[in-house]
Amino acid sequence: MVDWQYSESIESPDIVSIKKKYTNYIGGKFVEPKSKKYINTISPSTEELLSKVPLSNEQDINSSVKSAKEGFEVWSKLTPNQRSRYLFKIARLIQERSREFAVLESLDGGKPIKESRDFDLPQVAANFFYFAGWADKLDLSWATKSLKPYGVVGQIIPWNFPLLMLAWKIAPALATGNTVVLKPAETTPLTALLFAEICEQAGLPPGVVNIVTGDGSTGSLIVNHKDINKIAFTGSTQVGKLIQNSLAGRDVGLTLELGGKAANIVYEDAAIDQAVEGVVNGIFFNQGHVCCAGSRLLLQESIHDQFVKKLEKRMQSLRVGNPLDKNTDIGAINSKEQLDKITSLVNEGVEDGGELFQTQCELPGNGFWFRPSLFTNVQPSYSIAREEIFGPVLTTLTFRTPEEAVEIANNTEYGLSAGVWTEKGSKILWTADRLDAGVVWANTFNKFDPSSPFGGYKESGFGREGGRHGLLSYLKASS
Amino acid sequence: MIDIKKTYKNYVDGKYVRSESGKTYTKELKNEFYELPLTSRKDVRDTVTSSKSGFNKWNGLTPYTRMQILYRLSEMIEGNKESYIELLVSHGISKQKANKDIELAIENIIWFAGLADKWEQLAGNLNPVSEEYFNISHQNPIGVVFSLSSSTVSLNDLLLSLLPPLTVGCSVISYSEESSVLALKFAEDINNSDFPPGSLNILTGNFENILDDVSKHVEINLVALHREIENNGLKRIQENASSSVKRVVSLPSISGLSSILPYLETKTVWHPKGT
Repeated sequence: MVDWQYSESIESPDIVSIKKKYTNYIGGKFVEPKSKKYINTISPSTEELLSKVPLSNEQDINSSVKSAKEGFEVWSKLTPNQRSRYLFKIARLIQERSREFAVLESLDGGKPIKESRDFDLPQVAANFFYFAGWADKLDLSWATKSLKPYGVVGQIIPWNFPLLMLAWKIAPALATGNTVVLKPAETTPLTALLFAEICEQAGLPPGVVNIVTGDGSTGSLIVNHKDINKIAFTGSTQVGKLIQNSLAGRDVGLTLELGGKAANIVYEDAAIDQAVEGVVNGIFFNQGHVCCAGSRLLLQESIHDQFVKKLEKRMQSLRVGNPLDKNTDIGAINSKEQLDKITSLVNEGVEDGGELFQTQCELPGNGFWFRPSLFTNVQPSYSIAREEIFGPVLTTLTFRTPEEAVEIANNTEYGLSAGVWTEKGSKILWTADRLDAGVVWANTFNKFDPSSPFGGYKESGFGREGGRHGLLSYLKASS
Repeated sequence: MIDIKKTYKNYVDGKYVRSESGKTYTKELKNEFYELPLTSRKDVRDTVTSSKSGFNKWNGLTPYTRMQILYRLSEMIEGNKESYIELLVSHGISKQKANKDIELAIENIIWFAGLADKWEQLAGNLNPVSEEYFNISHQNPIGVVFSLSSSTVSLNDLLLSLLPPLTVGCSVISYSEESSVLALKFAEDINNSDFPPGSLNILTGNFENILDDVSKHVEINLVALHREIENNGLKRIQENASSSVKRVVSLPSISGLSSILPYLETKTVWHPKGT
């Protein structure tokens, strides 16, 4: 028998030079924070300090909003065709510096280079290209009268797809004529700050894009600023509710892209091997740090045992480790805090009576790691079947009839995404019609495209990002 | 000879009902006193139960059928035009203005009836994704809509507060204060137009009394306010709504395609292409 030795293939980190300390990007300039305070950002795969970024305070937010207001005066007076050209230029620059961004994303966030290089970055560029083309066609986008930009938009984004979420926010906001103050997540600020260099390279007028870093307190200062005209937030449902509450009674637009607990329904007539692949991609993509992750596997009773056996075998082949290794399937958990949350929910699942399968693999000594995990023998009332775990943990439930599958799938306050696996077309359409979910993946999962609207029903938020529908998140109907 | 005066009741689940509280408030029109239902918290809860099942029935119909039921409503109002004009005149509105109001109302029903089987073609589309996938965005109605009608006494305004959500398949709880007699008279035409029970429920009373109950109720999916709310009421509604990420729209557009957009959820479906 051949003894296959594993040989790693490490992407060189040399392509990116990380500064010891970063500044905010306000009014087209890189400026030290008036707070004079900084926070550390570490690599979750080694726990080594990467850099320090500003912990912005009220003065910093005031000057970024003021700059965005001034930027709006300039940006809104450009012709739509000029705005379009800036976005095209940004898209090209991102393509050119793509590998540098991908490496930095994997270092700062812990995701496998395979994903940052082949998924995140191509999607980032594609989003700027897509919305570049809308900038001068807004009058054709919706058959409604007088759609106008909000003005200054505050954007607060999460740590799971740092640069991609930036693209989802900034590209449509700029295409529709708004200017932005964007705050990246506390644990993944570096690619957003590198993006500021792209804005400079593109010659974007000062104040059109402002990037300020900080923690939750900084985000709250943006939300509560009197001159903000709209807030776009992606993150947890809990924080989304707080933001909605803070904006009560104020004339400020709001779109929310919040949590999920997606059902991935596998009918007995599905192509089983294909479904196993899809289920693995659905939950283990990006360490399961995906709001639309297929975290509730709904199996038709008759195929449960066979499916679980195949799934466990496939899971065992997942490679966990160094994000910069091109072979890595599952990288580091983004932070100690997130690792603790996953661990505690998984422990709760075991105490509740769930049966836990975890893959056997060596984990690196430093950094934050979690083994790919599968729960069977779960009741719908368990926390692991209801709460968003946001980690590589899949929970299995069973059903007998399509009606029951839909009922279980919809029995959650969330409504972001869902999956359906069957070879029968009419069953796909029947099921998709009945699922309360903003995105339904049939015989596939976790597919994204700038032209495809994304966003949730119910407590998964409101508003769409991407596609023609995504434009409406940044335009208001005025009489 | 003494005139016969009509008794007005709430219209819930296809039936005329008094408030369970037994409470009423008085409205004087042309020296007649009308005792109108003062809707209570319990009434709101009962109505939401009806609206939930009404939503399934109404949304379960084909767009073609919904279109015909909405058109039927215009037939009913046309037939009862004189009595509407008389009622508006008794509110102190000139006969000419009243006539115009009813004409406009009928015109708008016709417009929305004809939209019932077209809005999906205007609001949805295929998405040209860069891989071999079929990808379509289409819409679902958001569910149960609570609509506070405007403070004007106008059948046209009342209709424009409930036609956009009804057209796309939502069930509607229409709540009136100032135009309560008109709204409850209108319920009779709803009752005669083949609307499934619970698809459109009509309540009257003092909105301030039920403001918290409505905005906190997790099974009301959207609150549409067609008039300004005094005393920080909008802030309270939005704060309450945030506990369940409920949608609140204040003074929404009532014309064109933008009138229906708040009541829609966009659903995007992907499927691979292959052999």
